[in-house]
Amino acid sequence: DKLLVVPQDGSHWLSMKEIVEHLSERGHDIVVLVPEVNLLLGESKYYRRKSFPVPYNLEELRTRYRSFGNNHFAASSPLMAPLREYRNNMIVIDMCFFSCQSLLKDSATLSFLRENQFDALFTDPAMPCGVILAEYLKLPSIYLFRGFPCSLEHIGQSPSPVSYVPRFYTKFSDHMTFPQRLANFIANILENYLYHCLYSKYEILASDLLKRDVSLPALHQNSLWLLRYDFVFEYPRPVMPNMIFIGGTNCKKKGNLSQEFEAYVNASGEHGIVVFSLGSMVSEIPEKKAMEIAEALGRIPQTLLWRYTGTRPSNLAKNTILVKWLPQNDLLGHPKARAFITHSGSHGIYEGICNGVPMVMMPLFGDQMDNAKRMETRGAGVTLNVLEMTADDLENALKTVINNKSYKENIMRLSSLHKDRPIEPLDLAVFWVEYVMRHKGAPHLRPAAHDLTWYQYHSLDVIGFLLAIVLTVVFIVYKSCAYGCRKCFGGKGRVKKSHKSKTH
Amino acid sequence: GKVLVFPMEGSHWLSIRDVVRELHARGHQAVVLAPEVTVHIKEEDFFTLQTYPVPYTKEEYRHHLLGHLQNFFETEFSLKLVLQTMAAVNNVSTFYVRSCRGLLHNTALIQSLNSSSFDVVLTDPFFPCGAVLAMYLRVPAVFFLQSMLCELEFEATNSPNPSSYIPRLLTLNSDHMSFLDRVKNMLYPVPWMYLCHVNYGSLARLASDLLQREVSVVEILRHASVWLLRKDFVFHYPRPFMPNMVFIGGINCANRKPLSQEFEAYVNASGEHGIVVFSLGSMVSEIPEKKAMEIAEALGRIPQTLLWRYTGTRPSNLAKNTILVKWLPQNDLLGHPKARAFITHSGSHGIYEGICNGVPMVMMPLFGDQMDNAKRMETRGAGVTLNVLEMTADDLENALKTVINNKSYKENIMRLSSLHKDRPIEPLDLAVFWVEYVMRHKGAPHLRPAAHDLTWYQYHSLDVIGFLLAIVLTVVFIVYKSCAYGCRKCFGGKGRVKKSHKSKTH
Repeated sequence: DKLLVVPQDGSHWLSMKEIVEHLSERGHDIVVLVPEVNLLLGESKYYRRKSFPVPYNLEELRTRYRSFGNNHFAASSPLMAPLREYRNNMIVIDMCFFSCQSLLKDSATLSFLRENQFDALFTDPAMPCGVILAEYLKLPSIYLFRGFPCSLEHIGQSPSPVSYVPRFYTKFSDHMTFPQRLANFIANILENYLYHCLYSKYEILASDLLKRDVSLPALHQNSLWLLRYDFVFEYPRPVMPNMIFIGGTNCKKKGNLSQEFEAYVNASGEHGIVVFSLGSMVSEIPEKKAMEIAEALGRIPQTLLWRYTGTRPSNLAKNTILVKWLPQNDLLGHPKARAFITHSGSHGIYEGICNGVPMVMMPLFGDQMDNAKRMETRGAGVTLNVLEMTADDLENALKTVINNKSYKENIMRLSSLHKDRPIEPLDLAVFWVEYVMRHKGAPHLRPAAHDLTWYQYHSLDVIGFLLAIVLTVVFIVYKSCAYGCRKCFGGKGRVKKSHKSKTH
Repeated sequence: GKVLVFPMEGSHWLSIRDVVRELHARGHQAVVLAPEVTVHIKEEDFFTLQTYPVPYTKEEYRHHLLGHLQNFFETEFSLKLVLQTMAAVNNVSTFYVRSCRGLLHNTALIQSLNSSSFDVVLTDPFFPCGAVLAMYLRVPAVFFLQSMLCELEFEATNSPNPSSYIPRLLTLNSDHMSFLDRVKNMLYPVPWMYLCHVNYGSLARLASDLLQREVSVVEILRHASVWLLRKDFVFHYPRPFMPNMVFIGGINCANRKPLSQEFEAYVNASGEHGIVVFSLGSMVSEIPEKKAMEIAEALGRIPQTLLWRYTGTRPSNLAKNTILVKWLPQNDLLGHPKARAFITHSGSHGIYEGICNGVPMVMMPLFGDQMDNAKRMETRGAGVTLNVLEMTADDLENALKTVINNKSYKENIMRLSSLHKDRPIEPLDLAVFWVEYVMRHKGAPHLRPAAHDLTWYQYHSLDVIGFLLAIVLTVVFIVYKSCAYGCRKCFGGKGRVKKSHKSKTH
């Protein structure tokens, strides 16, 4: 079968890539639609690439990603933090929009896509270019998503009560105090506003292309959602039949360590290793911060493997090895892994859970603060504020998660729950993509809720109607009683009335 | 591990039995706990049967459990039917309360169960006596069910359950409802709520006495770690659910065996026309004579061979093509390529077997959820519904000819069948997995939603909304007052003139 993949550049691609490769191994013909200028969407033996022109060059792309990554270390007041976060994210998100705009106006690419009869479209709906294309090409679609930004999978279809489902950026758990629930309620309103800011221009773009008014939630409804969630890590909340939970797909594949890394690990002795990576988006850390980190790392007995592409801090201790890239999952899977210093992106978190390695978390942006909070409340890690932390803080955090047995126990418990499932998440993801191809969508999983207005959905019209009936009946009964009373006790009534008018 | 199974009587037992057999095959020990007086639950080699005495006889039980079914051949579809269903449920549940009291007050038995230290209780919570027992023994529980009265499975798990697109029991609504349908959908559950209150109230009191603290039936049900629900969204309408609910609809379909010689012979003798399977389920033993004769007449008019499971008196006009049997291997027969149609009371087991094997259906719903089941299959174009009270021989004949000869019925049921059977894991394996999961991890507390710890007004954020509203109103009030004050100051004269003017006209 022929599958069209519309990916999202950056770390989102990493988990999609794995599913795509697995699908390709099972004999599906796969075309990946990539912007001609991109970061990670490289050539592969598993799929063909179809590139489309974009109005920026590699230089600009790299500059944007670099400034996006580096801005996280710039100090700002807590009040300005949300605005800074928004502006910073927009550096990358704007570029996605330009790329989408240029794709949807590129008639050569569009006609190529139309002529190739695809069976289904697989996309990441965070940036909804693929969502729009699926509608344009009239293809059944499958989404791969991790709830950010905005819990798109809940908008307009699946209930997500604000009373116990914490919103992004709030860092709340599922047990909230009254002020927290108040803040969560307001965060929910702001999330709607954010949704508007991020997506209304895509709706205009889609309306131009499809020549009718388009609302994105309406397009979302017809799809099957592969969600990178696992309730070992996420809080339980209502879900719908068209949501498939595949959190932890990236954990299964485990290769052998290369000679280089094998040597590092073996040389670490009884103390073992600590894996340190702030993800693919952060290339450089301000010198002062980097030196502080290096100092802390030098104070612990473990060998440190630090993925870092910036300038080597001058005070780097002997136990710390800087590498440009590291096989994160394989290293974490090694029995000598003692701790994991991570920016707590969802991939890293799942790899940490899967391999049972306690974490020191330095969240930088997006959902990372919330991820860190979740692991912290489960006693499987310690969170540090990357801006405020000192060398002592980092040292203490590392010593705590390594030496305090409870961290290891908690992460091992999570790990055993996480890995205990009836079917591997990667197989599940592949099954459902193939299912949609086989059956040309899954319309029987589409809830009828989509065809209702908001007041119908909440039965406000029915409640109003019943209330009107009750009130009418009460009114009639009251009036007839009053009339009856006046008839029976005519005198009294009249006396009262005249009395009343007098006092007036 | 050690599994304590507390099943429900009747057809409910049949599918939980498959799970028990599979658990046994995987090396677990199962003890099935049942009242002395049962209809379906019998000793078998893959579990230990543990019975307990109950304060009624088999005759009494049969009479009350099955007696009311006769009514369904005599009453019109209507509100009366609803009332009758309610009366029947009430009747049956009185028995369950008595039986449950008999069990929970049986100190010797409880003590012996306690000392066997089970790893999990597998129970059908339709009447949640097993859940109370699990709570009392402090053993995690897995529930296995099709649905509960008053949709308690959704209330207990805190699944949102909007009445705007989720049709309620006995409304015959689909998931797309008109305004009036939605009004009906909201009103129908009201009398049921009363019934559930009464019925489950007595169990809750029993449980409160036993546990020595106040528990409601919802709290009892929340003891479940995982809910195994015999539902499939090919047949049920899509709706919200919670992560600890696992859908295993069609679990009874997997278990197919070769036909016995007797049935093999019938099927082979049917020739090119094939067979029609006819069963009104295990609960109906007899049909009023007049109705039975009408049915027999219609069956005689079609060219297929009919296999009719019927334990009542043989209708005198039974045609040659109709074979009466006391019991038939329903799933195996439906799975035979010669099966052309299935006449069913549309109980959920039968419906799933029909879907699984792709056999179009003629449905004669009798009670409970059967009308709704039939409606669902009808709207999907996979069967025809008949009103068992009003139908004539012609109606039945036409219905049978339609589903057999009109290709669209076969196509629709085959489409449903292919969707239903296309799943990443077999429902029986899934059910067994989750029972073992709960044993391995001693429950599944990480799947317990925080919603259970909120009051209803907190859950709906009414306190937050109220608070925000109060703030907004206060601000508006203050702004209004200050403006009013400001205005009086600035346009003092005018204001006063107006005021005095006003008071004059008054």
